[in-house]
Amino acid sequence: MKVLVLGVGNPILSDDGVGIHVARELMKRKLPGIDVEELAASGLELLDVVRGYDKVIIIDAIQTTKGKPGELYILEEKDFEKSIHGSSPHGINIATALALGRKLVPKEMPKEVVFFAIEAEDLVNVAERLTPKVAKALPGIVEQIEKELM
Amino acid sequence: MAGPIINDTPVKTNEKRITIDPITRLEGHGKIEIFLNDSGNVDNAYLQIPELRGFERFCMGRHVMELPVLTNRLCGVCPAAHHLASTKALDAVFSAEPTPTAIKLRELFYMGQYTHSHIAHFYALAAPDFVLGPSAPASQRNVLGVVDAVGVPIGAEVIKHRSYGQKVQEIVGGRATHPVFGLPGGVSKQISEEERVKMEEMAKSCVEFGKFTIKLFHDVVLANKDYLGLILNPDIYYLETYYMGMVDKDNKSNFYDGDIRVVDQTGNQLLKFKPDEYLDVISEHVEPWTYMKMPYLKKIGWKGFVTGPTSGIYRVGPLGRINVSQGYTTPLAQKEYEAFRKTVEGLGVKGPVHHTLAFHWARVIELQYATERMLELASDKSITSDDIRGPYKEPKEGVGIVEAPRGTLIHHYASDKNGICTKINMIVATTNNYAAINTSVQKAAKALIKDWMVSPGLLNKVEMAFRCYDPCNSCGTHSLDDGPALEVTVKRKDGSVLATRRNF
Repeated sequence: MKVLVLGVGNPILSDDGVGIHVARELMKRKLPGIDVEELAASGLELLDVVRGYDKVIIIDAIQTTKGKPGELYILEEKDFEKSIHGSSPHGINIATALALGRKLVPKEMPKEVVFFAIEAEDLVNVAERLTPKVAKALPGIVEQIEKELM
Repeated sequence: MAGPIINDTPVKTNEKRITIDPITRLEGHGKIEIFLNDSGNVDNAYLQIPELRGFERFCMGRHVMELPVLTNRLCGVCPAAHHLASTKALDAVFSAEPTPTAIKLRELFYMGQYTHSHIAHFYALAAPDFVLGPSAPASQRNVLGVVDAVGVPIGAEVIKHRSYGQKVQEIVGGRATHPVFGLPGGVSKQISEEERVKMEEMAKSCVEFGKFTIKLFHDVVLANKDYLGLILNPDIYYLETYYMGMVDKDNKSNFYDGDIRVVDQTGNQLLKFKPDEYLDVISEHVEPWTYMKMPYLKKIGWKGFVTGPTSGIYRVGPLGRINVSQGYTTPLAQKEYEAFRKTVEGLGVKGPVHHTLAFHWARVIELQYATERMLELASDKSITSDDIRGPYKEPKEGVGIVEAPRGTLIHHYASDKNGICTKINMIVATTNNYAAINTSVQKAAKALIKDWMVSPGLLNKVEMAFRCYDPCNSCGTHSLDDGPALEVTVKRKDGSVLATRRNF
């Protein structure tokens, strides 16, 4: 089974880049049989990256109303069903991109897509560093994701 | 398939403030607020842009050579444009003349970006309004609905050619999304003959796809009299503004290099300037209700959200470029440009086209130009030369400008003698259009919402007034739960919320 771990985010936008930080940690661990990539884009770009894999794990930042910075949520595609399929001013969302791929190139699309979403604190200030709470949670998150992968 | 759904039935609202809230990122998003007066007509409308803090401070004190890879992180939508504007600014900072090979490679790379970006906008963002119709239910009015309507084979061609644009960028630029190849006076990577041939093949296919897209635009949009009626309606999608865009020495449109030309409402040239003169031409107006500044022509002045010769508001992007230029250097794009001019002149338009929805037509013509230019450059065997880097001198101050897919993009840096950045200023494409977008939104809202009557279709038609600009306010690069969710909040005159309607 071909597995891709994809860290998504903007590495210079504080906690927005947490997915990239996690991916970089996982790359260092050289997990057997697992490709680890980073992606600083969304929507249709995602299709170029996930094609040909059986399973894709997307790691990204999330901001919920009551979450604590650094908390990890494991989500599936169905959790994004409420996200509207339609046009946004400058892109399409991940759920729409995956649905589009399944329509157009079904054989090349991963059967399973799992989201590891990490609660972010700051998504507004330009910075290469994570905020302290998210940075502190990072090693535990990396370990937990590694366990899920093995 | 059934025809597109142009209109739906408006219902009476009791609410005085309507918010169209396209939630594109969790950390912030632009939104449109529409205020109704006591008789239920539109008093005013605003497009608000969220804040992103500290980018200039983040860049100051760093080595200027880092800026092409830092500034392109501002955006996951047009990083290639930022990378090239930044690289050209470094050419100026280091007084470096890029080699002929480097210039060709940069432009080839950039045509890949245009191909990818214009395909994505036309098919994923614009087509739902035309193929499904502006009043089709939001659950269908999306790229998946477009595929259902036009069929999987066409959908597969769309993603294939968008992907070709990305591959050309990857081959030349080192990475598809956030390139790393630009250096003052050149580029960092030579390409092989094998890579050139591969790009030539992809470019050939893209030219054919450009032809297909123009035909589709004619068949779906121009052949539909309801759409033509919408496009030509002077009360909804029409602004008489100045226009700005880059041209070559013959005033043909150019995306990578040239002078910046500004024309007035009748098409006469107001100004032509070089990158380092931009501060003489553009000033920025600040409004208290939004974080984004509003550039205007200094010579004319800021007069508020009004149009005409006394207002310094100008437009950039595909419509700006087509209005300031006298066509294209490639045959198919030129042919379609002539068809465009003939059509609009047949409708009585003499100078610039002020019909905002004509952005879409201009964009598909530009797609054709980008694919043809990509083929010209990829067919040129000299691009595999190792002459990819020119000499450079001690750093100082410099400005670089390119035409981003969304419009004129300006990067301006100053450096100390050690290459440390001491000043940075950027005017990005959508910012140039911001005053015009806001004016477009106000005008469309006033024309469409009357006597308390609103509907999802009407609100989408208001959204169409800004969607055609392909606005990109996001300086971040991704979203997990983004999407086109719309929140419509109707408020009383005092600003208190009466009711909220959402489609999510």
